[in-house]
Amino acid sequence: MSNTDDKKTQQPEPLQERITPSNKEVIIIAEQSDGIIQPVTYELLGAGRDLANKLGGQLSCMVLGESLGAEVQKLVTYGADEVYVADHPELKNYRTLPYRRVIVDFLSTFELPPHIVLLGSTTTGRDLAPRIAAHFETGLTADCTELDIGPYEHTNKADPEKLGLYPGCLYAIRPSFGESLKARILGPWNNPQMATTRPGVMIPLPPDESRQGKIIPIAVNIQQEDFRLKVDEIVREITEGISITDADVLIAGGYGVNGAEGFELLKQLADCFDNASIAASRKVVDAGWIPYKYQVGQTGKTVRPKIYFACGISGAIQHRVGMNKSGTIIAINKDPDAPIFTVADHGIVGDLYQVVPELIKQLKGANVTQEEKTLV
Amino acid sequence: MSKPFDILVLIKQVPDQGAKAGINPDGTIDRAKAKRMMNPFDRYALQAALHVKKLTGGTVKALSMGPPPAAEILLEAIEHGADMGYLLSDRRLAASDTLATAYALHKLILHVSPFQMIFCGLQTTDGDTAQVGPQIAERLNLPQISYCEDFSLEGDQVKARRVIEGGYQWVHADLPCLMTVANSYHPLEYKKIRGSQKVQHLVRNENEKSKVIKTVTLDDIEADPILCGLKGSPTIVARTDKVAEIGGSCKTRQGQSVDLMVKDVLETTPVKEFLKL
Ligand SMILES: Cc1cc2nc3c(=O)[nH]c(=O)nc-3n(C[C@H](O)[C@H](O)[C@H](O)COP(=O)(O)OP(=O)(O)OC[C@H]3O[C@@H](n4cnc5c(N)ncnc54)[C@H](O)[C@@H]3O)c2cc1C
Repeated sequence: MSNTDDKKTQQPEPLQERITPSNKEVIIIAEQSDGIIQPVTYELLGAGRDLANKLGGQLSCMVLGESLGAEVQKLVTYGADEVYVADHPELKNYRTLPYRRVIVDFLSTFELPPHIVLLGSTTTGRDLAPRIAAHFETGLTADCTELDIGPYEHTNKADPEKLGLYPGCLYAIRPSFGESLKARILGPWNNPQMATTRPGVMIPLPPDESRQGKIIPIAVNIQQEDFRLKVDEIVREITEGISITDADVLIAGGYGVNGAEGFELLKQLADCFDNASIAASRKVVDAGWIPYKYQVGQTGKTVRPKIYFACGISGAIQHRVGMNKSGTIIAINKDPDAPIFTVADHGIVGDLYQVVPELIKQLKGANVTQEEKTLV
Repeated sequence: MSKPFDILVLIKQVPDQGAKAGINPDGTIDRAKAKRMMNPFDRYALQAALHVKKLTGGTVKALSMGPPPAAEILLEAIEHGADMGYLLSDRRLAASDTLATAYALHKLILHVSPFQMIFCGLQTTDGDTAQVGPQIAERLNLPQISYCEDFSLEGDQVKARRVIEGGYQWVHADLPCLMTVANSYHPLEYKKIRGSQKVQHLVRNENEKSKVIKTVTLDDIEADPILCGLKGSPTIVARTDKVAEIGGSCKTRQGQSVDLMVKDVLETTPVKEFLKL
């Protein structure tokens, strides 16, 4: 093969349109815990509805559990056209192998494979999705923050069998390389195209009680070898206070709070509000000043409170991706050049040990006047 | 009762994102210039593997896939107590996604088998997928325990504590089994070992090094090149974009007295709407 020839004949041949067979269906694998559908499932239904509309296919949801009752109908309320229900005592709690068996068996019954299969990027979804993808030898993208449908032209001749113009690909978009880049990952050569999405990122549809959907029971054939792992006990740690993903107001502290005691001051500010919690950057979690459950960011939680106070947080990209969708962001930092100010809506350049007490003082004052007003 | 175990641990060399070298201003990594290190999560996996060896005796083999410099982390593993290192290095592996990587590694595992336990890091810091461990378990038809943060051996079974949302679960699994180890596993007893005598000795003595570190190709492990690298990867990174920063819209107060700045913020934001009554 000669390169110069290649260049002369650089009339690029029009790429042939290629369609990998599928039934255009988008399937969400639901997640339930103690019989309750988990929020990430509703988020996935919201994202999946959009994808199914763009593909002109149906949105389905597959749920595994025991006697899920009214929870199943909720999947329709939140957007599913059809719900496949695997009901069996052995499916009550998630376990890799039985769940894998039922899902693989079911997806194998399709004459044409579904176009897309999505799961939540939780400890369950990340345990299960790779096994299903590996079984079907299909592509899987982890921890996506955006999903879309669009065409893809594969022009890389290194792999001639893949050349072509593919319409209707799943765009699985995720942060990469420490999250200063977004990567669009595609796999149009095999169906289903699979992804997991980060909890807290996709937006559920408003529930619609009048939506109609079909509920379809599916077969469960668990094998002896699927019981090679047993769950002995499930322990939920009772979280005192409000979880950082549910709070309306977050008071987040970074290395600038200068020690575990600093969070006492932030707690006082949080106490001024109705539904508020403290939160933290990774650096203070690593320093052991505060437990991991408070961490916001790439390796912590994604939050979107109505108000986010960032106190003594520099605003590294790994932190910003976890909080940049918050309502109003207020940054307090000594350094006017701290990157946190690039995502903040309001900023105060100053020492948090002066600013936060002043905030508490003025808010308590405001509260008094409000109380007085209600008294009148 | 308990016979010596054959323990495998899968480790990967990644760019050191903490170091400045090789990290471009836009956050991309110049892999040629970047400092290299063992994926931090894999240190927990290695520690777990060495812990089993302490309990059962036997051997720990560290397995890695990557270009020749990845032998560095195999040396590091040996310094910490692993007995052997295997590096799967082959140009045809370039551009492997997780599925292709898992295929190649499962062939490497079969090549070095038998084994009772396989340990993987939870995820890598350069790929962040947490997929390769479970994909290998699927290929090998093994039970898996992902997000493992504690475990003990009970006869032919492993009893493990696995992280879940808002808590944890206790499980037990038959051996052989694959486990991915979370970074909430026991704190690392990890020392920097670059200069250690054992490693220095191996680095200088190719002959002895080749006895403990085996470099193998796809042909050696009888892997099908069609299922590796670009060809074997069902996904492709089609495009990368810089993350759009909103920027420039922040209303910053500076240089005034603290009470004025605070007052202004409280007057121009909805903060007071959320106060306790
Ligand atoms: C793979 C990877 C994943 C990561 N994941 C996360 C993640 O999930 N979440 C996360 O947060 N980070 C994460 N990080 C770490 C991140 O890169 C930063 O190191 C971290 O967010 C910095 O924390 P910080 O802002 O608290 O500390 P620093 O960067 O040290 O910032 C402290 C700030 O406090 C200010 N300050 C100091 N004293 C005062 C004072 N008295 N009053 C006001 N301001 C003051 C300083 O000006 C400075 O801006 C990750 C990093 C990597 C490589």
